[in-house]
Amino acid sequence: MRRKGRAAQFGWDLVTLLAAALFLLPVLWVVMSSFRPSPDVLGGPLLPTRLTLENYGSLARNAPFVTALQNSLLVGLCSALGALMLAVPTAYALTRLRFRGRELVGTLVLLTQMIPGIVIVIPLVVMMRSLGLTNSALGLILVHVVVSLPITVWLLRNYVEDVPVALEEAALVDGCTRLQSVSLVLLPLLYPAVAAVGTFAFVLSWGEYLLALSLTTTADHRTLPLAVQGLFSQFRQDWGLIMAGGVVIALPVALLFLLIRRFLVDGLVSGGVKG
Amino acid sequence: MRVTLARPPSTRGRPRGERALPYLLVLPTLVLIGALALLPLLYGVWLSFGRWDLLSGQGLRVGTLENYARLLQDSDFWRAFVRTLWWTLGTVAFQVIVGLGLALLLNRPTFVAEKVSALILLPWVTPFVVIVYAWLLLLDGSGGVTGRVLAALNLPPLSPLASPLSAFVTVTLISGWKGTPFMVIALLAALKSIPAELYEAARVDGATPGQALRFVTLPLLRNTLVVTGLILGILAFYNFDLPWLMTAGGPGEATTLIGVAIYQTFFIDVQPTYAAAMGTVMLLVLLVLALLSLRLRRAT
Repeated sequence: MRRKGRAAQFGWDLVTLLAAALFLLPVLWVVMSSFRPSPDVLGGPLLPTRLTLENYGSLARNAPFVTALQNSLLVGLCSALGALMLAVPTAYALTRLRFRGRELVGTLVLLTQMIPGIVIVIPLVVMMRSLGLTNSALGLILVHVVVSLPITVWLLRNYVEDVPVALEEAALVDGCTRLQSVSLVLLPLLYPAVAAVGTFAFVLSWGEYLLALSLTTTADHRTLPLAVQGLFSQFRQDWGLIMAGGVVIALPVALLFLLIRRFLVDGLVSGGVKG
Repeated sequence: MRVTLARPPSTRGRPRGERALPYLLVLPTLVLIGALALLPLLYGVWLSFGRWDLLSGQGLRVGTLENYARLLQDSDFWRAFVRTLWWTLGTVAFQVIVGLGLALLLNRPTFVAEKVSALILLPWVTPFVVIVYAWLLLLDGSGGVTGRVLAALNLPPLSPLASPLSAFVTVTLISGWKGTPFMVIALLAALKSIPAELYEAARVDGATPGQALRFVTLPLLRNTLVVTGLILGILAFYNFDLPWLMTAGGPGEATTLIGVAIYQTFFIDVQPTYAAAMGTVMLLVLLVLALLSLRLRRAT
């Protein structure tokens, strides 16, 4: 009986691997194609016969792409930091403090999550233009902070809730001020969660397309998604280069996400999130 | 002195600084969300009642229903609306079917299932730009995988994106594929919470594995399917990135979803107030869906 069960599991494992390979084929194809000489990607043999790093080399020499990489790093890091600076105190207040309007604030933050980008992009562009914040890193950072704020607050709220209140109460009884109880007791316990949530905010900014597209008109201020799109129209045939650009965007996101997966999955499932 | 953090009876009677603290903590978040999400939202609705001809250089004049009168008669818009509904339905149907299959396969305590559960997230975490170019390459009618299959079958090198119906179906399926991992992780979480005793009891009662799936598993997954389907449906309904990057709304109007229509009306036709009116209609749909999802979430 047991042997039969093991054989069945093995069979299902095979089915699982096949299904996953089929499901992940496009992603695998990007990675594989990025290491092939460009002419081979479209038109060469189906499976690679020659591998090269040349696509990554020409990407590194592609000035607009390098600028975009720097912009994306700047915008992503700043907006993740900004989101955390706002989300940590908010999540703390929403879970640990009772105050009038708490429910309202919580609902408001949650509803912001559901506001579709395409609906607010028009008024946002009009507003940002009149403030002179289009084509500026600051403008995009502010907007990306708002994009990730609802989900960062929501996720952090779950983590704060998981820390027993008794720990902070004990610190208060021992004569700590509230600030001390938070910074000495609560925050150290939250560091892994804060890091995971900050990473998630970075990832959201890194791949964001619509707002970056709408708030940016000059090449100097483009972020990576726009730069990859630029590669496509600029060198229509250079598939190897485009695929290498795709890997540069997707790889850090995938690695970071796999790293913080355990922290995020539960919160995402209960919160729902922008894809 | 007794200090309670979690559920103090009320804020009254506490020192002033203590009473202001929660507001000071949430204020920055509220200001930013207010300024860059809620204000644009209201401003968009306000714009939708206005006339603003950017080309003639006249300023904004608000207080007209003409955008809505035009919208009601705009058959292009309503076709895009219906198209977006089909798109949403197709996307979610794909996610339910494929997501359920994958989740059932992955809900086994084997090494392979565990590793694949992590990797399966890749399409979901990969930005749309990359997904789009991956599929454009695969679907290329001459040298892509599609092209090779067609050549092997002695068929002409046609891309599925070349004709309106097949383009719509193809991009809808890709939309479903991109969001499926989210459905899978939600279903896996739900599957793991089903107590093993239920299956034990079903087996004792003589149920086959198929019957256990139908009468134990599926009914218990229903709530997750509905709530996750709704979230993914909302995301699909408002998607702009995929149809815009992949086909720019074409061929013809085949993949012009409302999101694409709004973008074109604003950035290409330069009719800000008319685009804002389209956005306001979408907002109404969102309102209905948001209320529905809040209600469902409360019910589960």
